[in-house]
Amino acid sequence: MLQTDLSLEKLLFNLNTLAELGEEITSPKDFTRVVKSALYMVMGSFSATKGVIFQFDSDRGVFAPIASKGLGDVGAAHVKLSKETASALTKHNKPIDLKKGEHPVETLGEAAGVLEKLEARMIACLVVKDELLGFIAINGKFSGEDFSVYDCQLLSVMAQHISFSLHSHMLLMRLMHKYNENKGLYENLRRIYYDTIHAFAASIDAKDSYTRGHSHRVSAYSAVLSREMGWSHEEVEGIRIAGLLHDIGKIAVDKTIINKASPLTSYECRELNSHPVVGYEILSKIKFPWKGIPMMTRNHHEKVDGSGYPDRLKKTDIPIGARIMALVDAFDAMTTDRPYRPRLSFREAMDEVKANFGKQFDPDVVQPFLTVIRKEVRREVDNPTIVPLLQEQLDSVSLNRMLEGFPVA
Amino acid sequence: MVKKYRNFKEIGDAVVIYSDNYINDIEGEKLEDLCASYLDRGFTRIVIDFSETDLVNSIGVSILIGIIEKVRDSKGRISFSGLKRVNHDIFSIVGLTKHIQIFDTEEDAVNARARQGMVTT
Repeated sequence: MLQTDLSLEKLLFNLNTLAELGEEITSPKDFTRVVKSALYMVMGSFSATKGVIFQFDSDRGVFAPIASKGLGDVGAAHVKLSKETASALTKHNKPIDLKKGEHPVETLGEAAGVLEKLEARMIACLVVKDELLGFIAINGKFSGEDFSVYDCQLLSVMAQHISFSLHSHMLLMRLMHKYNENKGLYENLRRIYYDTIHAFAASIDAKDSYTRGHSHRVSAYSAVLSREMGWSHEEVEGIRIAGLLHDIGKIAVDKTIINKASPLTSYECRELNSHPVVGYEILSKIKFPWKGIPMMTRNHHEKVDGSGYPDRLKKTDIPIGARIMALVDAFDAMTTDRPYRPRLSFREAMDEVKANFGKQFDPDVVQPFLTVIRKEVRREVDNPTIVPLLQEQLDSVSLNRMLEGFPVA
Repeated sequence: MVKKYRNFKEIGDAVVIYSDNYINDIEGEKLEDLCASYLDRGFTRIVIDFSETDLVNSIGVSILIGIIEKVRDSKGRISFSGLKRVNHDIFSIVGLTKHIQIFDTEEDAVNARARQGMVTT
């Protein structure tokens, strides 16, 4: 082959390598794989048998190998550079022939020993925006030839390509770090938020010894029922929170009224019945990430026939969340002991729901509620919510009998 | 005894490995693994036949240099055969042709007597 042909072939080979390198570093492949391929391309271009790419590890303050070939295990071969050396290398920003010992080789100090052990002949710094991100080190050519000016230029261009890849990866890693940090903070805030709401719910229930756990049950029942009705995850979360806080207005009601066993006077009745409005006034000042919580609280004692309180709304005027809570709130009140009466059996509670179907309770809510109970009794769901909290055993046959005669919605 | 498979042919202590049409990272690594397994099994002569190979990129060159080093470390011998012009040029550019025996055909490579000096076609 003529020398001129060889030069042309060499140029084409190197151009092809640069094109492939560009493609490689912009590919969505795993970063480790990209760096490895990039190192192989550098080594293939200069027929080097040994090579390594170091990246600055800011946690440890050293340059650590991220890809190597022909050197066995180089995991422990860390290079420490002083600020002055790093600055000199960054400023020089050209491939350095260690054999020639030209500036800035004399600044390498202890690092020179590590590079010698790796049989490094050429190093090319990986610099972006005056920051030394790492460097490539390769040994001499397999052919034994010297590195020409052209080789140095080619190595310099390849190093620039790899620098950008390293820089992008570092930015991505920093972003990921920040994202994970923020995610952790958000999770903490979320936990605090939920803990606070749970504490509120506990303090509401604490006013009434009979209603311990009532808010939690209303919350859980509302969630499972709304999910059965096809609500989204976010909407279910909203009603779960509304369930926990629906009786928050009772904080303003005298404890003796809440716990009174005998019939209430009209004043006491007014006081107790004010809790949905008081609750609404408290909650409407809070900016919840979920919609409708204050209104669900305000209207959870409305009845679909318009005889409820405080706004005497009729069916479709009552927010759907409030209609759900009206049913599960009454259901829990019926199936737990109260100061003025012992708890009703499930059958008795269902008879009450049946008697008030379409009057107090919305048929569109009662039907899915019955579906949830049926599914739980038949063990068609992994985590039953309502049935385990009832203080009696239910089986499929007796449940069918109990639910007989429910009007079709 | 000659055992012939799609990618390789075993002839006594020699093996001819047929490389794929493009030697890049994936094909190069396959080739590397195959050579390493033959060295482990005691084969001392490895011939890589490039008759079907249209192109070797820089990653392929790097892997081939690694293979040559490994064979030499194992005191084995390695030669190439069936090189197309373009691949011969690439091996020449990176200086491989001065350091490895290259034959026109795999038969020539297998039948060649061990030579100390490196000869190119």
